[in-house]
Amino acid sequence: MDTQFAQRRRRDLIVALCLAVIAALAPLFVKDVYVQNIMVLTLMYAALSQSWNILSGYCGQISLGHALYFGLGAYTTALLFTKFGVLPWFGMLAGGAISAVIAMALGYLCFRLRGHYFVIATIVIAEIALLLFQNWDWAGAALGIDIPMRGDSWLKFQFARSKLPYLYFALTLACIAWLVTWWLEDSKWGYWWRAVKDNPDAAESLGVVVFNSKMGAAAVSAFLVAIGGSFYAQFVSYIDPESVMGFQFSLLMALPAVLGGIGTLWGPALGAVILIPLTELTRSYVGGSGRGVDLIVYGALIVAISLALPKGLVSVFSWRRGAAR
Amino acid sequence: MGLLYGLIAAGLALIFGLMDVVNFAHGEFLMIAMYATFFLFAFFAIDPLLAAPLVAAALFVFGAVVYLLIVRFAMRAKANAGMVQIFSTFGLAIVMRGLAQFFFTPDYRSVTNSWVGGKTISIAGIYLPEPQLIGALVAIVAFVALYFFINRTDFGRALEATREDAGAVALVGIDKNRVFALGWGLGAALVGLAGAIMAIFFYVYPDVGASFALIAYVTVALGGFGSVFGAFAAGILVGLVEATTALILPPSLKSVGIYAVYLLVVFIRPRGLFGSM
Amino acid sequence: MSPLLETRGVWQRFGGLVANSDVSISVGRGEIVGLIGPNGAGKSTLFNLIAGVLPPTQGSIMFDGEDVTRLPAAERCQRGVGRTFQVVKSFETMTVIDNVIVGALIRNTKMRIARQKAYEVLEFCGLAARADKLAADLVPSEKRRLEVARALATEPKLLLLDEVLTGLTPVEAQTGVELVRKVRATGVTVLMVEHVMEIVMPLVDRAIVLNLGKVLVEGKPTEVVRNPEVISAYLGDRHAVGA
Repeated sequence: MDTQFAQRRRRDLIVALCLAVIAALAPLFVKDVYVQNIMVLTLMYAALSQSWNILSGYCGQISLGHALYFGLGAYTTALLFTKFGVLPWFGMLAGGAISAVIAMALGYLCFRLRGHYFVIATIVIAEIALLLFQNWDWAGAALGIDIPMRGDSWLKFQFARSKLPYLYFALTLACIAWLVTWWLEDSKWGYWWRAVKDNPDAAESLGVVVFNSKMGAAAVSAFLVAIGGSFYAQFVSYIDPESVMGFQFSLLMALPAVLGGIGTLWGPALGAVILIPLTELTRSYVGGSGRGVDLIVYGALIVAISLALPKGLVSVFSWRRGAAR
Repeated sequence: MGLLYGLIAAGLALIFGLMDVVNFAHGEFLMIAMYATFFLFAFFAIDPLLAAPLVAAALFVFGAVVYLLIVRFAMRAKANAGMVQIFSTFGLAIVMRGLAQFFFTPDYRSVTNSWVGGKTISIAGIYLPEPQLIGALVAIVAFVALYFFINRTDFGRALEATREDAGAVALVGIDKNRVFALGWGLGAALVGLAGAIMAIFFYVYPDVGASFALIAYVTVALGGFGSVFGAFAAGILVGLVEATTALILPPSLKSVGIYAVYLLVVFIRPRGLFGSM
Repeated sequence: MSPLLETRGVWQRFGGLVANSDVSISVGRGEIVGLIGPNGAGKSTLFNLIAGVLPPTQGSIMFDGEDVTRLPAAERCQRGVGRTFQVVKSFETMTVIDNVIVGALIRNTKMRIARQKAYEVLEFCGLAARADKLAADLVPSEKRRLEVARALATEPKLLLLDEVLTGLTPVEAQTGVELVRKVRATGVTVLMVEHVMEIVMPLVDRAIVLNLGKVLVEGKPTEVVRNPEVISAYLGDRHAVGA
């Protein structure tokens, strides 16, 4: 049984590698900018949802305020670049570090809360940050920040003509988020987090310091989400508080993981691959009328999947595997 | 006059705190109620004050149907019950917003020339807008009625017992689904009432619910889940805090005060002001 | 040599209620000690104080020559206190082996070794065949054994068992008794709380009877069951004696 476990993990790694190679080669065949744009978003959401999944899925601390970290990443990068000329690459790391520290500071206060009280606290904190940013004149207030384009450059990580560099960066980010999860899954932290989620009292009795476990999960999760935010700021080159810190965004980040399978390795990626293209396609094909048909389709889909498959789409796959055995 | 708003918000959220089910479509219930009021006024010239009971009745049916069609199944989920509740109702919220856009268009609409709209009344030298005053009265009456309903009737006791232990309740012959469907109906009816009043002095548009839903949640949690009295008290507190914040900070920051008070309270009392263990 | 565990004049009050008053007990190395008493005698409270769920209102707790009175549960586990729960607390969404790995990780940082260790413990407890099942899918008696396995994986010096034999069928209880004997044979000291005397008396070396929050008697099981004070303490609780 020991080898069976090792086999499964190796197989996961190989499948991921194959998928990454396919995604990396896809632009050779898909030249359409619109489709490439969807691919970038899909990969970005896969990365974000994977990161969200670390705290909320594995460790069980449901956060509906992760837009805060996304926004912090986006704003740190954009502000450092426009105000001080700091290259986005450093801004990205700074954003990640700031988010991780803030996540731990907030965790220090919030991790005593349980259930709805915790969830509402995460929402409320993100809302406060949103309102503050909307009124912070130096940071552009509600109008946001326009990142000036100064020609294509890897150094400044901005590209006006081609989507490809963004695509490869998003792919790298998704791969990193996946790999981190893969590695954590079979580590001390991964086991501790799941134990904390299932039963904190029992975990404590087995030597798990529950509080520290939650702090670790919060830091890793916030760091990765902030990197995603930095990327987004460079990708769209214009940010405002509502578009990077709004409550809707927290939900959108959680959605792929929930629909794909919360607390699973493949759930977020699977959810993103199905959900994001669908969202974009309905938006452009039936949403053009501006009459909300895209919302109806999208919402109905969410209701249907969450009711029919409470364990997420991955449960369909594991059921097949079980039956084949 | 934030007081009134707090009362309504608490009214909105009350039943959902009692049943321990998350409803992310709550704001959209409010939106539907406001549209219903608007159309009754626009097409049949029924004043919002008269429409209120009708809207409440319609929302009662709507709430019960939503429970039977969606929430019932969400509550039955064995895995990730909390997430299933959040996202199935969130999905519903999106559908409802989409439907509202589809049928009513995203335009802002408002009820004009209602009996009390835009008028003020002078009490002891202080001018108070009439709609808000009426709203406060309705909210207080609704609360008192609800309080007695929950604490003094068989249904209220059945509701509480069902939340505590559905299995045991089934043994004494109470149908859980019937009780909860009625509970949802009642919760939605309260929203309907609030929506009808609010339609007098707020614009109606498809996304109107979102801004109120969050405040409603914060109110319930602030009072403590499951406490009727807590929600009432928290509602008043939220209203006062909002009014006070609006005096000190720019109006766009008025919600910050409410959120800050929520955080402060739960850090000291992790179960809200009047929450039981 | 000092006893492995010693409580010195421990008090626990909850508001006006006194759950433990001036309890001083000791457990020697290698012993199996039974902590018994009628309902509401304060057994569970004392148990939780020893496990570190909460600190006592007054008094001190010594473990392995150290004062652990103020240490939290996780820290005590680190020092060698393992426990089970009266109401089973498995990690339901994890497999049986993963449940045990959580315990094994405190002594082994390498995953491969922790996994190996967890598997050995499962074999020891007779659960190896269920290793890949979800904990939620186990029957109640297996869940009890899983709790023991999980605690054993932390390599405790002292194993605290909270009513692990209660509510089992006679056959299951017998398997449980044998498991406890096997555990002691590996050099682990056992302190077990049980409500029903008949089950534990043949198993323990020494019994401590609590009543109304105080130590009533302690001694050899055969003496304790004949003690008139014990009999009268249990009389109000006929069902335990008659069982």
